[in-house]
Amino acid sequence: MTTPVLFHEARTFTSVAAAARTVDATKIYGIGETEVRALDGVTVAFARAQFTAIMGPSGSGKSTLMHCVAGLDSLTSGRAFIGEADLSALNDRELTILRRDQVGFIFQAYNLLPTMTAAENLTLPLRLAGRKPDREWLDTVVEVMGLRDRLHHRPSEMSGGQQQRVAVGRALATRPQIVFADEPTGNLDSKAGTEVLEFMRNAVDHMGQTIVMVTHDPMSAAYADSIIFLADGRIVDEMAHPTAGRVLERMKQFGE
Amino acid sequence: MFFTTIKGLIAHKLRLFATALAVTLGVAFMAGTLVLTDTVGRTFDDLFGNVYKQTDVVVRSQAAFGAGAVVQRGRVSESLLTEVRAVPGVAQAQGGVFGYARLIGSNGDALGNPAAGAPTIGGDWTESARLNPYDLVTGSPPAADDEVVIDAASANIGKLAVGDTTTVLVQGPPQRVRISGIARFGTVDSPGGATVVLFRHTVAQKLIAEPGKFDTISVVAAPGVTQQQLAARVAKILPASAEAVTGAAMTKESQAAIRQAMGFFRTFMLVFAVVALLVGAFMIFNTFSITVAQRTRENGLLRALGASRRQILASVLLEALAVGVIASLLGIVGGLGVAIGLKELLGAVGIPVPAGSVVFKPATVVISMVVGVGVALLAALSPARKAAEVPPIAAMQRGLVGSTGYGSKRRVYIGSGLLLGGLATLLIGLFGAVSEGVILVGTGALLVFFGVSTLGRTMSLPLSKLIGAPLPRLRGVTGELARDNAMRNPKRTAASASALMIGVALVGFITIFVSSTKASVEQAVDQSFIGDIVVTSGGGMSGGVDPSLAKRLDLLPEVANATGLRQGFASVEGQVEFVTGVNTATAFDVLDIVPIKGRAVDLGRSGVAIRQDVATNKHLAIGDVVSIVFRDTGAQQLRVAMIYAHGQFVGLQEVHPSYLLGMPAYDANFATHFDMQINIKQAGDVSEAAALAAVERAAKPYAGVSVLNRAGFKKQQTAPLNQMLALVYALLGLAIFIALLGIANTLALSIFERTREIGLLRAVGMTRAQLRSSIRWESVIIAVQGTVLGLAIGLFFGWALVGALEDEGLTVFRVPYGSLSIIVALAAVAGMVAAIGPSRRAAKLNVLKAVTSD
Ligand SMILES: Nc1ncnc2c1ncn2[C@@H]1O[C@H](COP(=O)(O)OP(=O)(O)OP(=O)(O)O)[C@@H](O)[C@H]1O
Ligand SMILES: [Mg+2]
Repeated sequence: MTTPVLFHEARTFTSVAAAARTVDATKIYGIGETEVRALDGVTVAFARAQFTAIMGPSGSGKSTLMHCVAGLDSLTSGRAFIGEADLSALNDRELTILRRDQVGFIFQAYNLLPTMTAAENLTLPLRLAGRKPDREWLDTVVEVMGLRDRLHHRPSEMSGGQQQRVAVGRALATRPQIVFADEPTGNLDSKAGTEVLEFMRNAVDHMGQTIVMVTHDPMSAAYADSIIFLADGRIVDEMAHPTAGRVLERMKQFGE
Repeated sequence: MFFTTIKGLIAHKLRLFATALAVTLGVAFMAGTLVLTDTVGRTFDDLFGNVYKQTDVVVRSQAAFGAGAVVQRGRVSESLLTEVRAVPGVAQAQGGVFGYARLIGSNGDALGNPAAGAPTIGGDWTESARLNPYDLVTGSPPAADDEVVIDAASANIGKLAVGDTTTVLVQGPPQRVRISGIARFGTVDSPGGATVVLFRHTVAQKLIAEPGKFDTISVVAAPGVTQQQLAARVAKILPASAEAVTGAAMTKESQAAIRQAMGFFRTFMLVFAVVALLVGAFMIFNTFSITVAQRTRENGLLRALGASRRQILASVLLEALAVGVIASLLGIVGGLGVAIGLKELLGAVGIPVPAGSVVFKPATVVISMVVGVGVALLAALSPARKAAEVPPIAAMQRGLVGSTGYGSKRRVYIGSGLLLGGLATLLIGLFGAVSEGVILVGTGALLVFFGVSTLGRTMSLPLSKLIGAPLPRLRGVTGELARDNAMRNPKRTAASASALMIGVALVGFITIFVSSTKASVEQAVDQSFIGDIVVTSGGGMSGGVDPSLAKRLDLLPEVANATGLRQGFASVEGQVEFVTGVNTATAFDVLDIVPIKGRAVDLGRSGVAIRQDVATNKHLAIGDVVSIVFRDTGAQQLRVAMIYAHGQFVGLQEVHPSYLLGMPAYDANFATHFDMQINIKQAGDVSEAAALAAVERAAKPYAGVSVLNRAGFKKQQTAPLNQMLALVYALLGLAIFIALLGIANTLALSIFERTREIGLLRAVGMTRAQLRSSIRWESVIIAVQGTVLGLAIGLFFGWALVGALEDEGLTVFRVPYGSLSIIVALAAVAGMVAAIGPSRRAAKLNVLKAVTSD
């Protein structure tokens, strides 16, 4: 058992163990009058094989942070790393390949290509890379995600929860360094949401996957190993071994 | 409603432009054709008006036979002139002749192209300035027998000046002449681009017509006598074989002839206008379908807010109206450009159009507007109805799925009905014994196009699947996506492909037709021509080479046999037919004529040979008498002396001659004595090269002739086809180009719809290059689909037409697989090119923005 302080130190300073990290990440939208500091000097590391949740009020910069670490957006200043790769040093092609091979994504909705079956969506990044899928691994993913009987359905023939599970499966299929999920359960009812969260938890526990998830929901956040809290583009707090109750308590303070 | 329409229009300027372009082009073609034909019509009207301005009455021979384009008239006796001059009310009368004369330029080449283009005519210099349509620019009238006046255009092209000596090909041996003057024809350098040589009166009669005869006598009335009065008075003294026509009637007749000649050209050009407009209709349909689909939510919201169906319908149609009006206006302006371009083109192929201001009739504007706007509105009608059917609830729904599947049963029935009806109409038009065949063929072809495009949606899925089948293996997931996306909205894919289909169908059809024609000509030469060398005169139907050449060639030691061929019109038992003159002494050794009954030696001066099937049809046997009317000698009774089979004379007007005359009979009944072609069999012991050289040497003084071996002859006979092919390709290329723009347009719109998906693909690791490649292949599938459908239709059209023209000598149906494969390959490349813009734009999309867009 680690104390919160030690945990804090391990996160911030032990970069070797980090699947992704930022150093003094700043993102500014607009100029002059309309300038918005979406990220304001964020230094954070996401430890391997950990499930981290990002929380904070709307507009606090959660999505921005995630997009910048994931290589979907660039920082105004500061640096972001996936593993040892400095994202600012990569061109579009290299970034794309990095995303394909090292990063998994789960968006809030519309994660799947409508023309492809679940199986095809699942293996999309692998096939884009021209790689042969690792059958055994895929089987594991399919098994863990409980997708076996849905493999040949198209997204339009699946429920929202099932679609999100396929999205999680796809994110895991390439065994990426890190998976980012932006409010993955935002569009689901609580039952379907719970399923998806449990799958993600499973992936961390049984497959050693690193997952970073943005959420507004204390119940969801409680699935994570730890939480970082953002407000106005800065990290304002962290919490290890969260429970829904503690998270709710903490969240209330933002309202003050 | 009006506001949203206008705002929408301004927001999508570029898309609008691409859509409008096709309609603009169609309208421009149409307006251009109308303007040009009006302009040319008017200038020729003016020209002939001027020519006959001073002529009150023309005396000429009655038509011997024929009607319309092939009226054949003989000549009147010279002695008639004195009698006409004696008629009260005649102030002045002057005889004139015309015939075949071909001028040789300063470089030794013959001017004009009587076989396939500008005619070469000779005439006499009219002494009376009042009656002479030519005005001298420099020099003087011909004062000696070897002096001539030539037209200014020929002087220019042939680099001939007053005082120069040159050669003129006429009846008999080539004549050396001195140019005494250069003249213009009214306001133009030459009448209709013809090469004109004007001799002294008596010389002209001897060299190009008949001594003692006139083609026309032009009469000027005394003051106070009207044209009608004078014509009536003159008519009284004329023999039954001659007629008196007023100047006004002559003007009308000439103008009508020009109109008729222009009519073909007009139809030809209007066909391309229709093609461009059809393509435009498909593009408008597609663009509007897509934008309407994209605006489903917006239209649902409008409906929810209280807009009526009619208002939504009206707003879409208003947009189409705006597109139609803008496109048509641009098209009309472009039409002026097209008219000027066509005028230059006509000039370049040797048919100079007289100078004069462009005739821009209000009717042109009205027709162009009505057609352009009508096409736009009609094409947008179905999308507009779709838009109006959007329920208010659509405002709350997200991303309605596009049309998938095979389309309704009704659509399949209607499509099949159109297709079958079109095929039937076409076949009846081609093979049935109907008078309005051309109209049926045109309607049938149009119906086939509509049928196939109605069925397009049903055929699109399996076709895309088939065409895209190798892609996943070749290109992996990129190819898979390309195929899936092409199959995603079969209706849209089909409409894009249809626009291309039309152009490709016509290209395929023409290609097949031309290749079959070539194959038929080659087969005919191989089968029917036993000889080795051909001398073609280049004189067309009106002239040729002097018969002395054939005689000389026959005597060459390198030549075994040389036989001249002639062909002219005659009326056989009331029907205008070709009769072919052969030299019975030599023809049978060189040509594939097989006597079945009777003997060639019996042909003589009053015998005729008839092809077996013709004789059977007309129940004619050896010894029967046939009544044939000749232009120059009138009705003659000829005895059937021979019945023959086969006989194919490539290079003549009638390739399968129905009636043969021996030279004595031919010469007796035709005033002009020209060989159109000389077929030669070389001596057994010489090489082809030696024989060719000898023939060339002997033919040297006869400028304008070509000496060809078999291969060269085949080439010469098929060369005009290549020219036609190039012209048609150029025009259809334009339609195809527009269709490709349409594909690019459709792709751009589809990509816009798929922004989110593209963002997702890029987010999970699709590189820009992969994305571009995927869109390129999608485009290729659409393009190849249109091409394959087009070729299928083209193949059918080609097969049908070749079948219909079998009797005209089109005996071989040859599918040029090589050329057709190239067309498909080009279509694939063109598809890639069309995708360049849209795929670039897609690749440039900001991943984050795309993936978070809705
Ligand atoms: N493209 C953009 N242009 C300008 N400002 C932006 C842009 N994207 C985000 N912002 C601003 O940056 C800040 C952070 O936005 P971000 O989307 O990261 O917030 P968030 O924490 O994810 O909020 P939510 O919980 O609502 O998703 C906000 O103030 C937002 O308005
Ligand atoms: Mg967010």
